[in-house]
Amino acid sequence: MSRAFAIAANTFRETIRDRILLVILVFALAMIVASLWLASISLGQEARLMQDFGLVAVSGFGVIVAVFVSAGLVRKEIDKRTVFIIFSKPVGRGEFIAGKFLGLSATMAIVVFGMTVFLFLLVWAVAGEPSGRLLVAGGFIYLQVLVVMAVTIFFSTFAAPVLAAVLGLCVFAAGQLSHNVLSLTQLGENAVLEGLSWVVFLVVPNFSAVSLTPVVVGEQVADWSTISGWGGYLVAYAVIMLGLSWLVFRRKEF
Amino acid sequence: MRARDDSRKGGRGPSRAAGRRGALLRGVVVGLVMLGCVAGVVAFQVTRPARSAADPAVFVPSPKFFRDLSPSFRTAVADAYWLAMVQYYGEHVKGDGQFDALPAYVRLVTDLSPRFERAYMFGSFALLDAGEGQEAYELLVRGARRNPDSWRIMVTLGMLIYTYADSPDKDKLAAEWYEKAAAVPGSPDYIPRVAAELLTKGGEEAKSALMWGQVYATGDTYARDKALVELDELLPRDPQQRKEALQPLAALMTPQQFLTLSSILMGVLETP
Repeated sequence: MSRAFAIAANTFRETIRDRILLVILVFALAMIVASLWLASISLGQEARLMQDFGLVAVSGFGVIVAVFVSAGLVRKEIDKRTVFIIFSKPVGRGEFIAGKFLGLSATMAIVVFGMTVFLFLLVWAVAGEPSGRLLVAGGFIYLQVLVVMAVTIFFSTFAAPVLAAVLGLCVFAAGQLSHNVLSLTQLGENAVLEGLSWVVFLVVPNFSAVSLTPVVVGEQVADWSTISGWGGYLVAYAVIMLGLSWLVFRRKEF
Repeated sequence: MRARDDSRKGGRGPSRAAGRRGALLRGVVVGLVMLGCVAGVVAFQVTRPARSAADPAVFVPSPKFFRDLSPSFRTAVADAYWLAMVQYYGEHVKGDGQFDALPAYVRLVTDLSPRFERAYMFGSFALLDAGEGQEAYELLVRGARRNPDSWRIMVTLGMLIYTYADSPDKDKLAAEWYEKAAAVPGSPDYIPRVAAELLTKGGEEAKSALMWGQVYATGDTYARDKALVELDELLPRDPQQRKEALQPLAALMTPQQFLTLSSILMGVLETP
């Protein structure tokens, strides 16, 4: 396990060197400008709008960064031939995948929580009171980002980085719409199509059911048991995808 | 070999000077091309025709279209359309007074975000301006049903019924909504008093002033401006009488709010 952590630490340093943290600065500037703009046109609703648009931005920035970085994570090691050096040592394929994932997870934690904490402080300054739910929503966005990362790493084990990134983004978009697949299962009379829809519904991560943004703006109510259930689902999904990545990657010959 | 190296580096003497002149010329040409492009881009943008007068008939999608979106983005879409609705109202209230798309905007925002309290309240006043009284009433009833913990929506509904309904029972109907609002935990203490006042005989102007007074006390900037205009029309023009008519409103708001309200409404009398 210590070998996985060594790879994680290296991946963390490598991704930080890529100036990924600049995303937080871009987000902060965008939110400051947006808050000034919203204050003048939202008819007193700037706090609500900032939370809503801010969380969409945290999710958008987080997913885009995660997808593009994780898509090249494995391929970069192969192209630079450093993978030969790594596997000449007693490092397992699973440890390699886990290390890469953990390293990028640490970087993404800084990115997502940096943006969320900035948004939290900005909303606090505008609304005059802190919203703890905003921080929990940021945590959920982080879990969604981890799932998208795991899915993209899985695709990157057998596809080119660009294709893996595109597929990762597609899975994120499909996950936002997966509740529609469920309604499709109830529409048709064809048993095969119905079964297929069920399979798609089970395979695609159900992001639409595990979002805290509507809770933050007061549209939904969710208790802690529901929230922890949602969190458990996302963590389990990420673990499955990492397991599949390991299965594919262990068959590769270097 | 050396001669070839010299020629690569630009050579010495006259050839080096020629090389420098060439580089300078290239720099000038590139600079001129860049300047020309910048001028072209700026000229294109500044010569675009100004935005034409706002069209009252704007396409507003059905809420069904967005309902299939993920819930995490549904409220963001509602917020984006809230901004568009406020903008649309602002453009037309100062312009042609046509609000063809307003009911669709209000329906879209409140259907996508059913607990967006301010959207119901602003939407109802804006619909009244658009001459859509029935739509405003239905919107607030829908809002009260979806938000049983919102005394503000119920109070606005009571006020709307009392002020605009054309029914002999309007006092009773409005009082019912005030009583419902009073039953909501956390509602202000003055609401039961307003309900009781509504059920007394006569004093229509005083009752109306009370209604608009509470709109001023609980509303946003837009609602407060509207309440000021209505109160100015309702209250007597004589300064002493106006001062006396303002007194019952003190119980509806904070001392600071009352001071601001009185100074504005008394100040209006002094301006010619």
